[in-house]
Amino acid sequence: MKHTELKRILVANRGEIALRIGRTAREMGMEWVAVHSDPDRSSLHTRFADIAYSLGGSTPAESYLDAGKIIAAAVATGAQAIHPGYGFLAENAGFAQAVIDAGLIWIGPPPRAIIDMGDKITSRQIMGAAGVPIVPGMAEPLADAAAAVAAAPGVGFPICMKASAGGGGKGIRVVRDPKDLESAFKQASAEAQAAFGDGRMYLERYLDQPRHIEVQVLFDAHGNGVHLGERECSIQRRHQKLLEECPSPTIDAATRAAMGETALQAARAVGYQGAGTVEFLFSKGEFFFLEMNTRLQVEHPITEMVTGVDLVREQLRIAAGEELGYDQDAIVMRGHAIEVRINAEDPANKFLPSTGTVQNLRLPGGPWVRLDSALYNGLEVGLNYDPMLAKLIVWGADRAQAIERMRRALAEMNVGGVSTGAPAALRVLQEPAFRAGDYDTHFLESLDLTEDFLKMGDVAAIAAAVFRHHKARRSALQPTAGRRDAWLSRGRAARAHYPLPPSASAGERADRSHA
Amino acid sequence: MKYFVKVNGAEHEVEVVERLGDLEVRLAGRPVEFHYHEVNSHGQISLTVGERSYGISVEGDCSDVVVTLAGQRYAIDIEDERERAAGLAARARGGAGGPVKSVMPGVVVELLVAEGDEVEEGQPLLILEAMKMQNEIEAPTTGRVAQIHVATGQAVGAGEKLVTIEVPPAE
Repeated sequence: MKHTELKRILVANRGEIALRIGRTAREMGMEWVAVHSDPDRSSLHTRFADIAYSLGGSTPAESYLDAGKIIAAAVATGAQAIHPGYGFLAENAGFAQAVIDAGLIWIGPPPRAIIDMGDKITSRQIMGAAGVPIVPGMAEPLADAAAAVAAAPGVGFPICMKASAGGGGKGIRVVRDPKDLESAFKQASAEAQAAFGDGRMYLERYLDQPRHIEVQVLFDAHGNGVHLGERECSIQRRHQKLLEECPSPTIDAATRAAMGETALQAARAVGYQGAGTVEFLFSKGEFFFLEMNTRLQVEHPITEMVTGVDLVREQLRIAAGEELGYDQDAIVMRGHAIEVRINAEDPANKFLPSTGTVQNLRLPGGPWVRLDSALYNGLEVGLNYDPMLAKLIVWGADRAQAIERMRRALAEMNVGGVSTGAPAALRVLQEPAFRAGDYDTHFLESLDLTEDFLKMGDVAAIAAAVFRHHKARRSALQPTAGRRDAWLSRGRAARAHYPLPPSASAGERADRSHA
Repeated sequence: MKYFVKVNGAEHEVEVVERLGDLEVRLAGRPVEFHYHEVNSHGQISLTVGERSYGISVEGDCSDVVVTLAGQRYAIDIEDERERAAGLAARARGGAGGPVKSVMPGVVVELLVAEGDEVEEGQPLLILEAMKMQNEIEAPTTGRVAQIHVATGQAVGAGEKLVTIEVPPAE
């Protein structure tokens, strides 16, 4: 593969990730093209780019998901390569192929690798063949209890039974003791039969205290690959991550090396190139392949902070055909990094989405604080786009320092106009179990996030009362424009003698006389 | 003026009195040494209580105030003496229910109750889809569904009325 000098790239994304990619491009002496929808005309990524290209449209389907428009934008602006970011078209093999077919460079893995890893069953088969550990389970559903009893030893206890047609928690049973298997199967199967009209069940090993741990890998186009250690992403709810850390407090050096080697094996099995992430479930010393994300991850900055490697720079170098130029020994993990996602949601109200206009923004700073953000005063947070507004990242010499630094930075930050999940992260950071590194993927959902854990409700009450007092006083002293108008127009209406239609209300009369 | 300030379910009684241009504050009857200064017109406030300093932000209107303090967000309901008296009178008449409003813009996917239904506190009233997620909107109190203001498939904005719950007068 020949080496291409990249001078201008197009970033097919929005928000903080578009900005993050553009920043590295500029640091590498390249120009970057931002594409934007109509509502994003004044967004940060549009304003910070060298070239802003309007895709038109207001929904994602009309803009950031429209492959044809994006490729046309690259051609029109003379961009040589397209970086998809994450989300939108990042894991769309058809788009990747279309970019390549248009004679452009695709900053991502080969389309075949996206396809192989994109399907759960296919990827499981490929991984199994490549010797990558997968959660023990049956490839085919079972129809009766006798078959389940026969298959159970091959899966291993505890066993989780799931309805073949499953959903909504119906027909799920966890069996810890082999003697309970038969009756549990019959119950669950009957439940599934009633709910879905299909009583067939899958058996899978149930993992106690599962932790979500993922390994970052980088492969160039010349067959060289390295892993950059793991990230722990177990602080999540309904698979929505809130806080990530690097390295994981539960992984020792030997496990890290083993997981890293397994991740490289997994990536090689699909001929991977570029930056990718291999996700594992880790439970009591065992780890199992979950899936591979064939793109840059949201939480990539914590790996960057700990390894000192700019992952976007490596992506661009790899796409240009360069060799990595270093081996596994060059990757050293130093200190500890934590990321908190600043999402527009209300943690005190079951993380319901929050919308509004961002105002009163106060951003954190100080030593070893990084903010990857698309926030600005006046940003409209609606329902069209992902609720993630920013990522706050800190580095510390060790985990305890990183935790204290993140608490300090979160206390400095204020996002007005919408509610964010940041207080939930603050709560997590002060929990003794989290601080001891002892948590799993159920931890966040086990916390009561409605309570006032800072115990500063009285100070807030004083502030609110004084705020209201000032507000009431101001409006008493200075009549609002609306009030004065109403008073004036009432006065004029009283003097108006021409006939008015009898149906008109007092308000309408006032408006007419005013005009 | 005395204010009844509800923070996270706990009620604080805060009295604010203006004397010779200065504000005096009492929290539950005890005087509080404080200083409140508006840094800008957007709600950045410099507040000291005793010797402690707080850089806070405040936003909202007269009855709903949000105070962000050290990274924690306090959503606050506030009533003055007059509103409290009016509220008590309304409760005595049996009006403690009231409308359930949408906290976010979304689309009504499914109505789970009908007008006239008796509902328990916490019972789902309807499903609102927002940000690609289905959210159950629950009854804030036990009572009877007096009115449903929306239909399946309807788009609603934040703050819009969804369902009105009526509570019978206390015995």
